[in-house]
Amino acid sequence: MKSSPESMPLKKPKRISDVLILSIFLVLLLILFSFTSENFFTYANISTMLNNMVIAGAIAIAITPLIVARGLDISFGASLALSTVVMAILYNKGYNFFLIILIGILIPTLVGLINGLLAEAFNLIPLILTLGTTSILIALGQVMTNGNSIPMLTDPLFYFATKSFLKIPFPIMVLAITIIVYWFLLTYTKLGKKIYIIGSNPLTARLSGIKVKQIKVLLYVLLGIVTGVSAIIMVAISGIGYIYHGNNLTLPVLSAVFLGGMSLAGGEGSIWKTLLGTLIITVIFTGLSLANIQFYFIQIFQGLALLIIVAFYEVRKKRAEIK
Amino acid sequence: MSINKREKILNQLNIFNKNSIAPSLVLVYVLMIILFTLINPRFFSLGNFKGIFATFSIAGIMAVGLSTVVISGNFDMSIGSIFGLSAVIVAKLFNIDGFTVPIPVIILAALLCGLVIGAINGFFVTKVGINSIITTLATLAIFRGISFYFSLENISIPKEAFLILGRYFVFGFLPLPFIYFIVALIAGYIFLRFSRHGRNIYLVGANSSASRLAGINISKTQFLPFIISGLTASMGGIITAAQVGFTNATFGNGYEFRILTICVLGGISLIGGRGTLIGVFVAALIIGSISNGLALIDIPINWRDAFTGIILIAAILIDSFRVSRRERLKLQ
Repeated sequence: MKSSPESMPLKKPKRISDVLILSIFLVLLLILFSFTSENFFTYANISTMLNNMVIAGAIAIAITPLIVARGLDISFGASLALSTVVMAILYNKGYNFFLIILIGILIPTLVGLINGLLAEAFNLIPLILTLGTTSILIALGQVMTNGNSIPMLTDPLFYFATKSFLKIPFPIMVLAITIIVYWFLLTYTKLGKKIYIIGSNPLTARLSGIKVKQIKVLLYVLLGIVTGVSAIIMVAISGIGYIYHGNNLTLPVLSAVFLGGMSLAGGEGSIWKTLLGTLIITVIFTGLSLANIQFYFIQIFQGLALLIIVAFYEVRKKRAEIK
Repeated sequence: MSINKREKILNQLNIFNKNSIAPSLVLVYVLMIILFTLINPRFFSLGNFKGIFATFSIAGIMAVGLSTVVISGNFDMSIGSIFGLSAVIVAKLFNIDGFTVPIPVIILAALLCGLVIGAINGFFVTKVGINSIITTLATLAIFRGISFYFSLENISIPKEAFLILGRYFVFGFLPLPFIYFIVALIAGYIFLRFSRHGRNIYLVGANSSASRLAGINISKTQFLPFIISGLTASMGGIITAAQVGFTNATFGNGYEFRILTICVLGGISLIGGRGTLIGVFVAALIIGSISNGLALIDIPINWRDAFTGIILIAAILIDSFRVSRRERLKLQ
């Protein structure tokens, strides 16, 4: 059969996979840091790094489907911090341990519910709305503590933070469970497919019967639950309730998510890319800390990494469109 | 009464602009003054208002810049970092050993900083095409880090001739920063309302595809607002350095939140293309007076940010209602 232009099937332009690029960048970083410090590839350092990553990683993964569905929530840092503050205060007042754990999960869940309801019921821009809720949450925490840290040292939490099961520390297990749950949700369930449809075209989604608003509110609430669990891990690792716990959380999580190629326009994103983004941010942080680089350089580096990688994504998208 | 008639009467009640929010804001402000004065009569004194006007002007100047960006359809989260870096640059340049840099040069250097960062923001948003939120979050981090690189502790500015620029009261009661603010406000208003580029900013913000079809260069139109926003942010940093007499690398941390609240409260719609600086002026007054008023009625300073947060949420709720009302009117 003669192959004429009309009979040849349209070929999708070849594109280097995002995951591949991110993995290469990660490997390059690891190579770089193995030279700057001999201690980098030790068990102690790697497990510290993974521990640091647990909280940011869990939240980054939970926020991924929300951003895919065109939502956003930047109040997770303040929400987590306020939860740690309340838990610490209640603990020092002698409340029941399990009740405190429950409240610790409940507070960020409630915050997520409020954010979601407000954003969806009134069509508010999530970025600005959650900017507002962040300030309210921080103010509440400041009023409760005057900016001081409240110690919360408990045996069960200490055990949780330091012990491992089959050589895997407990916090890492929490992260692994979060990854598996969200991966399953997004890849194999109808809900997952609906989330991507909502992100690509909300109008079509609504017209085809998908309950857009309800699903988005659910995603805010799920993010809240994960934030609550992360708050407990934070208290376990740090031993204190502190309203500024979230300060070093917001930017790294958002950087990780956008490094992973997620677009604020929605419809795109995967757990694995977010995970790679989180790994990159964590490696940068740990590597630079180990090399005794000052904290502000780390911040500059992370900001630059975000800018450069996202710029790269955009340029590649433009080139693909031109072809 | 039909909906059309109701709308016509409502429009006639608006003095400045169709659907302007400014009159309602003035009413809110007057009520606020009355409320605060009732609780603490010291609120309504010349000395107190001098203080309010000295500080709200800085936020106002920055709000003029941010408004331009928001009207054009973008966001600028980095103004806090630009503010801090400019302040640090000013202080550093005053403290070079054995070398006195002239004041105008120092001010120009700090303004240049704002201009350059604004240009960087503008470049990545318009030329590379990165979302403005992501871009300005990245520059927020980068330039806050650079501020810390330059200074890890307070740097004081002993030069009286410079400090007077932020502290002098014209005729005994008008703070110089207020004059700067009025100048910036008038300049910004004339630019946005009467120049072609200014009107393009509104058009691009309101409907970018329609404006592209009309031949407007969207990249160029959206680039300038970032420069304006960067400049106003450095102005804020310079004036604050003069007022306070020292700087710290943490200056401006979280300012973008307060300035954004002023913009939204002032009627700058978050979806772009709408809002005038007159509303921003009154909104700046309201936000500026709140922390002062709260302090005078003995509410701890921690609650001020909570109040601002509540106001922000209320403001975007109102904005959302106005947007849906416009949409409903369009369908008729």
